[in-house]
This record gives sequence, C-alpha cells and structure tokens, in this order.
Amino acid sequence: MADVSLSTDSVVVAFGGLLALDGVSIAFPQGRITGLIGPNGSGKSTLVNAMCGQIRPASGTVRLGDEDITRVRPDLVVKRGVARTYQIPRVPPELTVEEIISVPMNYGASGRQAKVAFRHPRAVAEFCGLGPLTATECRNLSVTEMRRLEIARALACGPSVLLLDEVMAGLSHEDSVSVMGLVRELHEAGITIIIIEHLMRVITTLCHTVFVLNNGRVLAEGEPKVVLAVEAVREAYLGKGFRP
Amino acid sequence: MDAITLSQTILLSITIAALYAAIASGLTLEFGVTKIINFAHGEFVMFGAFITYFLQSNYAINPIIGALVSGLVMMALSWIVFEAFLARVLRQDEHNQILATIGLSILMINLAMIFWGPDARVMHAPDILPALRIGIVTIPGNNLVVLIIGALLFVGITWFLRGTRYGLLLRLASDDPVMAKFAGVNVHGMFRLSFLIGGLTAGISGGLVALVLYIHPLVGTDAVMRAFAIVALGGLGSIGGAVVGAAILSIAENMTSTFVPGGGSWGYGIAFLIIVVVLVLRPSGLFGKELRA
Amino acid sequence: MRTLPAKILLYVVVCAAIAGIAFSDRPFWIQLAIGITITAILALAWDILSRTGQVSLGMAAFFGLGAYTTAILDPITNTYLAWLGVIVVCGLFAAVLGLVTLRLRQMYFAIATLGFTLSLQVVVLVFPDFTGGAGGVAPPLLAGGDPAMQLLAIGGLLIVAMLVSDVLLRRRFRPAFFMIRTKPELAASCGVPVVRTRILAFIISGVFAGLAGACYGGLYGYVTPSDVYTVNWSIMPLAVAVLGGMDTTFGPILGAIILRLLEEVARELIGGVGYQVVYGAVIILFVVALPRGVTGALKALFGLSVRTPLGTRPAATGS
Repeated sequence: MADVSLSTDSVVVAFGGLLALDGVSIAFPQGRITGLIGPNGSGKSTLVNAMCGQIRPASGTVRLGDEDITRVRPDLVVKRGVARTYQIPRVPPELTVEEIISVPMNYGASGRQAKVAFRHPRAVAEFCGLGPLTATECRNLSVTEMRRLEIARALACGPSVLLLDEVMAGLSHEDSVSVMGLVRELHEAGITIIIIEHLMRVITTLCHTVFVLNNGRVLAEGEPKVVLAVEAVREAYLGKGFRP
Repeated sequence: MDAITLSQTILLSITIAALYAAIASGLTLEFGVTKIINFAHGEFVMFGAFITYFLQSNYAINPIIGALVSGLVMMALSWIVFEAFLARVLRQDEHNQILATIGLSILMINLAMIFWGPDARVMHAPDILPALRIGIVTIPGNNLVVLIIGALLFVGITWFLRGTRYGLLLRLASDDPVMAKFAGVNVHGMFRLSFLIGGLTAGISGGLVALVLYIHPLVGTDAVMRAFAIVALGGLGSIGGAVVGAAILSIAENMTSTFVPGGGSWGYGIAFLIIVVVLVLRPSGLFGKELRA
Repeated sequence: MRTLPAKILLYVVVCAAIAGIAFSDRPFWIQLAIGITITAILALAWDILSRTGQVSLGMAAFFGLGAYTTAILDPITNTYLAWLGVIVVCGLFAAVLGLVTLRLRQMYFAIATLGFTLSLQVVVLVFPDFTGGAGGVAPPLLAGGDPAMQLLAIGGLLIVAMLVSDVLLRRRFRPAFFMIRTKPELAASCGVPVVRTRILAFIISGVFAGLAGACYGGLYGYVTPSDVYTVNWSIMPLAVAVLGGMDTTFGPILGAIILRLLEEVARELIGGVGYQVVYGAVIILFVVALPRGVTGALKALFGLSVRTPLGTRPAATGS
C-alpha cells in the first residue's frame, strides 16, 4: 500500500462504557490533503489521539504505511514522522516562539524523513509567518499567531504526515486565507496533510478527499462537494428537516 | 505458629486495614479526584490523633467524640490552609503544589515535635465496645470501633464520589474545569469543599489511629506510606481494590512483626517492597488505572 | 546570569571562595564551607531532577548509599574502585527505581522516593552483618583527613556539578526540560522521550548525591545510619533549591549559603528538636510568594532580566 500514509483498521476506543470510536477504518492517501469532519462528539479528536499514540485503542490497528504503530509511544510516533497540532494550545506561556520550535527540531523526526528541511528554528518561524516574533513569549501572541505557532511546532517535528486539528477555528477571513496558503505550501512540499475542521469552506477549498465521522463511525467518504451533499451527512450536522 | 495466633493476627490485620482504607479514601478524594496534591494529608491525620489523645487523657472525653472533634478541627485547619495559600498554589502548576504541601508537611511534623515531643504515646482508653469473641479468637473492643468507623468512612467517601450528584459534579469539575464552569459549577468552591471533607476524614481517621496505634509526630508519614501501598495494590477509586490492598498490606506487616525476629521495624520495608513489586509487575496497580501520569 | 561573562564570574567566585577558605587556616570556616558545599551539591542534584517535573524526597537514600558503598567496597578493592562503585551503585539504583516509579504522577513518585529512603534505613538495621547495623561503617578518609584538602576536593565536585547543571540549562536542553515539567504531553508530541529523560536526570541526581555522601563519609571516616539516612538530607536540598532559586545553577549555591547560616541560628534558638520547622516555613513562603527564589528576587531588584532560556524581558517577580 505504497500510496497510503496513515491508516486505521477497525479502531475501537471506549471510555468506560462510552464508545468513542466504534470500528473506524480510514486510509489517508499519501501526499494529499484529506479532510476529517463530523459534528461535535463524533470522535474526531479521539481518532487523532489514537493515531498519535496518545490513546491505546481497545482493538484495531493504526498503520503508517505498512508499519503497525498502534502501540507506539507518542514521542516515537513523532520520530517516525507523524506530527499533530492541538486545538487548544497547551504551550508553556513563558517560552518564546523560538524556544518552542527548537524542541521538536532537536527531538523530532530525523532529517531524512522530513519533507521540508529547516536548519534553524527561525527558518521554521519565518516559513510560518512568525519571523519577527521569534523572541516573543507565547503569552503575548495573538490567536492567529498561536495557530501559526502550532503549525510551526508541528512542522519542526520534520513530519511526513501532518495532522491539523481545527487550526482555522476563530480566525478572521484574511487570517484563514493566509493559513490556508501555508497549508498549500506544505502540501506542495510533499507532506501528507490531514485536516480536522468545522469550516466547510476550508474543506471544500483544500481537500481532495474528506471522511465524515459520526457517533464514532465513518459515515461517508469521497470528494468534498459530493459528500457534503449527502442527506445523511447534512442530517448529522444539522438535524433532520433543517433547510440550510 | 498455631491456628489461634494466625487467626488472631489476621483479624487484627483486618481491623487495621479498615483504618488504612479510611486514610486512603481521604487521599483519594483529595488527590485522586480533585488532583489537589496535599502532601501533608498524613500530618492532618497525625494532628487529629494528638487532639483525640489529649482530649481523652486530659479530659476523659470518649474517643469517638474526640475523633469527631478532631475531624472538625482539621476541617477548620483545612479551610485556613486552603485560603491562606493552597488556593493560590492551585492556580500555579502541580510542581509548586507539591512543593508547598511538602513544606506544610515538614512544618506540621516539626511543630508537633516542638509542642509534643518526638516520643510515642499510647492512649489508654477504656473499651468503648465490648470485645468480640468469634470462636477461639477475640477482637478487642476498640479495634472493633476502628473497624466499624473506618469502614463507614471509606464507604461513605466512595459512595459520595460515585453515588451522589455532588460527587459527580466534583469529578466533572476536576476532569474538565472549563466545561464545568460553563455548566455553572463553582469549581473553586468544589475544590475547597473536597479539601475540607478530606480534612474532616483525616481528622476522624486520626482519632481512630489514636485508638489502636502509637501516637507520635511521624505517624502521619507512616499512614500515608501505607495508604500509598494500598493505592498501588488496589488502585484508586476501586472499592474492592482498596479493601484487598489494605488487607494484604496489614496482614503482611503484622505477620512480619509477629513472626520475624526484629521484624517490628520492617513496616516501611514491607510497604515499600510491596509498592515496588506491584508496580514492576503491574504498572497500574492491581486494579486501578489512575496512578500513572 | 545568562551571559557567558556572568557565568564565568560565578565559577571564578566559587573557586576563589573555596580556595580562600581552604588556605585560610581557620577550622571553623573550613567546616562551615564543607557543610555548605555538600549541601549545594545535593541541592543542585535535586534541582536537576526537579527540572523534569518530578520532586524527589530520596536524596538521603543516595547520600547514604554513597557513604556505605565506599565503606563496604574499600576494604574489598581499593579506594579508587570504591569511589567508582559509588557511581555504579547509585546509578543502578536510580535507574531501577526510576524505571518503576518515574511514570507515576508526581505525588506518588515523591512518596515512593520517601519510602525508598525510609526502607534503606530499615535495611541497614536489619542486616547488621553486612552493613554494620546501628554501629555504623567506616568509609575511607577523604584527602587523608585534612580538612583544607577535603574542602578543595568537595569544591571540585561542586564545580563538576555546576558544569553539569549548566550544560542542562543550555538552549538545546532547557526548553525541553521546561516543557517536560509543565506540559509533558506536549513534550511527547514534540518527540521528547519524557520518561527516559526523567530517568536520566534521576540517575545524574542520584550519582551526585551518592558522591556527596561518600565525601561526607570520608570527612571523619565514620558514619552511622542516623547520620546519613535521615529525611533531613532529603528535605534540605529541596528547601535550599526553593529558597535559592530553582532551575538555575546559582540558586542552589546561594540557597545553601543562606539556609545553612539560618539553620545555625535556628538551632541556637529552638534547640535540637524541631528546628527544621524553619525549612517548612521557608518552603511554603517561597513557593507561594517568591517562586523564583532569592535569585529571582535579586534579579528583579537589580532590574536584570529574569528570563530563562533565550531572550530577555523586563524583570518581574512571581510566576
């Protein structure tokens, strides 16, 4: 399966009695931008956590290419080339942009795996539009800048697969356009990108394929425009009988 | 080793096990649920023990009442501690929480040493309940009291956490404070309340300690060590686990001090050894999951 | 204290002070300096682990292990191997204990290390044939028993500890350690092997504590279990680092000086028992009001940058 990067096979994750993921099987195509959407509580974040080794599935497997990474520790998953951003930033507010980026640069995936090679944290910061802010402490960054920092941090891991967890939420139109441009650049560099989003505009603009999750199961998959027109998908988001 | 001694040892162990379980449950409430790190929890127990001891030996106050008074006093002290600095440290990171409460623990132990001296005391209280004969073995009356009240405390806390709406809100407040705030839960108030209940439990447990154990400034550290061993054995939040864990620990300790020459000082060794062995074999304890970071 | 000249100045001052006192021919000051230096080494060792977010109460255990290892190995092999043995033994204990307990949440790790200390006390007493029991052991004399030379030797160990501390504060490591301490999940998402780093820090911490213990044992060539396996040696480094300023090299040294002097005073006023109440009060006070310790307060006072890793910002106290 040379053209599949990250994939899951019948992954089940349960929290106590609650089934967060009920047998999810998704194959994310290599080198593409793939969307992962679904209403709140559908299991998107849980799936990301499971793919990155932060949650151990009760059953099922997670693969990177042919390699089974289901039980691999999160830091080792990063070293194998899978990086993720966090929806709610959890960077230490006292560290500066450059310091944050320097950590994955020193500990992330080895050079040969990285699709985009950077020599210095400042280069990563500039690539993500944070050039003049390298010495700024995180607590002094704006929302947009924090998003860019998250992307920069994940990028500094040297990934071949990048999971972007709702990076566009709350951004102004201009900001989201420029971040989308950044995502395109990363895609052009060869990184496989998986976008978890609520903003349909982003999904339809950027993604080649999209998977829809609902109640811990895959509801639909395919091209964005096609999938979004499916009745069941609309119902999942909006409830029955709602006319947009 | 004959059957009588063995059974006697086991029965005594079970009564002490109830005591440890009570102490462990206070720890569970504070740390397992709200994630307030109170390293001085054992010292609250110790102060409670001293209060009950002095009430009994100086004023002949019934130890059960003494235990209640201790509980209330410790609850008041918890309030003071919480408002004076713990609340502030809670907003800082965990690292500072544990440092501050280690400081509190040191402070309390040494205050106890200054006020009451380092020597161990024994409370000579008349039996509150008559001794119970089961076949050929006898449980002393005060051990019975400890067993009953200890078990009640433990069950009470566990029920509070799992069976009441309040307990549910508390768990919500600590798992996801942001969400809880949105739901209108007074997170700060809940943390304070749980800390107070922890103090109450510690104080009452201290009274029980005074009934059956030696009373000295380090008895709290002893207790926490054992509570930790119980948690390692039985896991947090698991009733069956805590009971089994407490039983295993106190049986092992009693056996050692009864049957191994010079074994009286093995208390820590046993507790620690059990902790290490269990953690090597089963990193999440025998039953529970919440030990790991 | 981030710039290179300032750092070199610190080393020069420490060397000058130690050499000056050692050759001063004043026994009281030499003994005091020895006590301060050993305390500073322990505090640095504690701080190194503390930077990864795990609070150890086991310094006394390794301190005692160091003294006992040299005492037990010296008659069997020679003194050099005995000292090497300290590194091996303490390293091994730290590695094994760390593997088992460093995954735990902070509170449980602290309790476990405390348990380790208390258990070693018991082990020593229960196996008197091997460990000399309550009677104690005779570690090899350090520097032939000459206090001035002893101070120089221990001073040398302090310099090494300072160097290790400073290496770990360099830009390659410091942000990672900071992240491990405050946001370990994020650190893992950056590829940092959190537990392995903590174990490494624990090993370094244990080895330095053990070497300090061997030095202590070598002061008079005789220690009893209650000299070394007391919780006091676990609490003091903690109080010293908190007072002086955690996450720095200067802090533990400054804290050692201040606290040792305070301790002398407190012992006079309060007497033998319970004088450690000072430690407790100090720790609470500083954690709550001055989390950056005296170092941070001084920096703020002089308007110097309080920033840690790279870059600077205007001074501010508190966290």
